[in-house]
Amino acid sequence: MESTVPLSFDRAAARKVVQAERRRSTLIDVGVTLATIFAALLMGFVVIALLGKDPVRAYEALLTGPLTRLGRTGRWLELATNLILVGLGVSIAFRARQFSLGGQGQMVAGAIVAALIAIYVPLPPLLGVLLPIAAAMATGFLLGLLPGAMKAYLNANEIVSTLMLNAIVLRLYDYILTFHLKPQGSETTRSLPVQPTAQLPTFYELLGVDLGRFNLGVVLVIVGAVGVWLLLERTPFGFAIRTIGANEKFARYGGIDTRRVIMLAFAAGGAVSALAGVHLLLGVHRRLFLDFVGNIGWDGITVALLARNNPLLVPLSGLFYAYLLVGGDRVEQQAQVGSELVQVIQAVIILLITAQVLGDWIRAWRARAQVEV
Amino acid sequence: MTQATPFIVEMRDISKVYPNGVRANEHVNFAVRPREIHALVGENGAGKSTLMKILYGMERPSSGQIFVRGKPVSIHSPHEAIALGIGMVHQNFMLVPSFTIAENVVLGAEPARRRLLDYRAAVEITRQLSAQYGLEVDPEAPVEAVPVGMRQRVEILKALYRGADVLILDEPTAVLTPQETHELFAAIRQLVQSGKTVIFISHKLREVKAISDRVSVMRNARLVDTVNTAEVSEEQLARMMVGREVFLRVDKAPMRRGEPVLQVRDLEYVTEAGVEMLKGVSFNVYAGEILGVAGVEGNGQTELVEVIAGLRSAAAGQVRLCGVDITNAPPRRVRQAGVAHIPEDRLTNGVALSMSIAENLIVDRYERPPFTRGGLMQPAAVAEHAERLIDQFAIRAPDGDAPVASLSGGNMQKVVLARELSSSPKLLIAAQPTRGVDIGASEFIYEQLVRARDNGVAVLLVSADLSEVMSLADRIMVMKDGRITAVLDNTPDLTEEAIGYYMLGVKRMSAEEIAARA
Ligand SMILES: Nc1ncnc2c1ncn2[C@@H]1O[C@H](COP(=O)(O)OP(=O)(O)OP(=O)(O)O)[C@@H](O)[C@H]1O
Ligand SMILES: [Mg+2]
Repeated sequence: MESTVPLSFDRAAARKVVQAERRRSTLIDVGVTLATIFAALLMGFVVIALLGKDPVRAYEALLTGPLTRLGRTGRWLELATNLILVGLGVSIAFRARQFSLGGQGQMVAGAIVAALIAIYVPLPPLLGVLLPIAAAMATGFLLGLLPGAMKAYLNANEIVSTLMLNAIVLRLYDYILTFHLKPQGSETTRSLPVQPTAQLPTFYELLGVDLGRFNLGVVLVIVGAVGVWLLLERTPFGFAIRTIGANEKFARYGGIDTRRVIMLAFAAGGAVSALAGVHLLLGVHRRLFLDFVGNIGWDGITVALLARNNPLLVPLSGLFYAYLLVGGDRVEQQAQVGSELVQVIQAVIILLITAQVLGDWIRAWRARAQVEV
Repeated sequence: MTQATPFIVEMRDISKVYPNGVRANEHVNFAVRPREIHALVGENGAGKSTLMKILYGMERPSSGQIFVRGKPVSIHSPHEAIALGIGMVHQNFMLVPSFTIAENVVLGAEPARRRLLDYRAAVEITRQLSAQYGLEVDPEAPVEAVPVGMRQRVEILKALYRGADVLILDEPTAVLTPQETHELFAAIRQLVQSGKTVIFISHKLREVKAISDRVSVMRNARLVDTVNTAEVSEEQLARMMVGREVFLRVDKAPMRRGEPVLQVRDLEYVTEAGVEMLKGVSFNVYAGEILGVAGVEGNGQTELVEVIAGLRSAAAGQVRLCGVDITNAPPRRVRQAGVAHIPEDRLTNGVALSMSIAENLIVDRYERPPFTRGGLMQPAAVAEHAERLIDQFAIRAPDGDAPVASLSGGNMQKVVLARELSSSPKLLIAAQPTRGVDIGASEFIYEQLVRARDNGVAVLLVSADLSEVMSLADRIMVMKDGRITAVLDNTPDLTEEAIGYYMLGVKRMSAEEIAARA
């Protein structure tokens, strides 16, 4: 089959132009994101000043807070590890345009199942870590599979089902912890610590550098980010996920088993999100207690959105968001600015970035500038 | 600076560079006289839609000037275009499907009483406009429930309601049946009678000859020439567009018919609303033949194709491919059984706009080598495949990484055609395969369909264009009201009239006769 349609169009030249323009547009994207962060910070600065607080001090705390002491740096990195893992998980379903909010439940469920092994089963060193990790991933997988199947085969709204599931898992967690895992006669509601062989060593334990509870779980981040990227961009399953996210009718017409792929996308995301739970258990707290996960499941969603569900950007957005959270804590302590205000500033930053307002302005302005040539 | 001018619209030295660097218009001079029908023709991607979007304020030109009634203007939005009396009906419709026709017509400039939409007034306005210009619509029907031809009239009414004097129609006939086209032309003539000016884009030169007063030809982002329609032939126009002779005639070798590939038995289909669209349809398509389906649109052809392709579920009956039962199988299994499908509605089903051309070209084969090996996708193979198809089908795109959304309408169609025609199927279903593509590409598609047939593929061709069916098909099956009314051998003595009788239901073959031939 050879071309019989002559093309009165110089493709080589067009290609050169378009490819150059693409490179430029990546640079613009980076520039725009940095400018957005800067603009948002500026807005927060003005707000604080208007409220009669000392913005310079507040900003000093916000911007340098996580770096002022090694312990705080450790807190930042440890929190980022959690957020990134949940964010990676969440981004998988999001890419199929499925709004799965089950990260929180998947983390908690993963942590319970991992805890049963890590606390009660003595295992040799490496296996002591790997087995709980595998168990948590399997649990997260199943916990994603359920709302995934409900969405794919019964068309049950995934937002509702994942939220319900979160609520159920959290109740169940409290129940199991209080009535089964809490040792007899203990005053605080918490489990026994995990076996020594199940611990993810901290960098203090490893190298003597006191980065608080920041631990070897960071390996999960690296493996996770690369793994999710490979899954989405280099496997046929990931291709199917992205195609469904782009146009589900087209995916079905093209011969993709959309139901199965949607269901498995939820499940795969659950397996990755559960890693955050196991990291908390084996590396950070080393036991279970009430309100063990805090807000991480939700903040992880923000992290995924900030990274526009790009697994290679999730680590960056996770580091950024964790920095804001830890810096925010410092602002409260140092500048006597209430935590609400800190949250407002964080929200402004997140909103501006996700909405890409500034990006649109700049693009519009550039287009106009081009027109006037 | 107002000057005396014979033109109602004049675009001078217009250039347009899209943000991705593509030059879509270069130094274009385009002028339209009042009360004329001005056709704009050119290959897919020549820059016609871009030029018209600039006039309608949807795109800003990179340079150049626009004059409306002799006054220089700069049009920043469709809103401003409308204020200048310029209206446009797009290549891809822009109506709200769940709203009624009346609501769609007045949308954006609603008659209101106490700030509420005055629905009765909207219906009345629509009815009046409809009568005035001979554009028949049902004002109270929701848009999603009416055929494309009527949707088109809604778009036109909408522009007229907002006071358009100059009406731009971007490929209005691409989605119309010959009958609907005929009606549209009558309406256009009436519009011109009442003082309107019409700019008309089409790839069908026969239509251009039939309706327009003057023609402007675009080629490769430039406007080559504007001529009086009466002074050029279709062949001359084609040569101006493409730069060579184009033959839409098909040379076919004698048919070598093989085993039945597709066997359809007693197929029934009922819509969600309970309308019976297919009533006991039975036929075969054999290896090595093209079976053409003729019929006035809306007589079950679309449903037939989509049931076979797995996009709709049959109420009864059986579909078998090479003996394998694929009745109501999902599209995945239908494709695995060896079916390729060029869908009629290519922009809804046929492409993912935000994905790259390369990705769109592998949606039916991404799991197979060479695209996936050892569980991993092979970007190099995907890119190479895209390069090859872009070349073969002359898809006007810089490379395979460009998103489909950045292509011209006709080039989006070509992406679908390239994928389906290159999938080496056993059965190729081609629904309206040349809609929206230029004549050069139509010629190429004809060749590809015939080549597939000669290689032993069974081809099921559905087309609203009777001459297309007659020049390609070996046998012609006519559908009317969800039934097969005739199956005819496409012998040289078969005439359009003969088929027309069956299409309109004036004549029908006996059940035995059909069974013997189908
Ligand atoms: N939004 C866009 N972004 C980037 N490039 C575009 C965009 N729209 C069109 N183009 C490019 O501009 C060129 C002209 O496109 P245009 O839509 O004007 O063609 P056309 O003459 O209307 O073709 P068709 O007959 O296929 O509708 C094409 O090469 C196309 O790829
Ligand atoms: Mg166009």
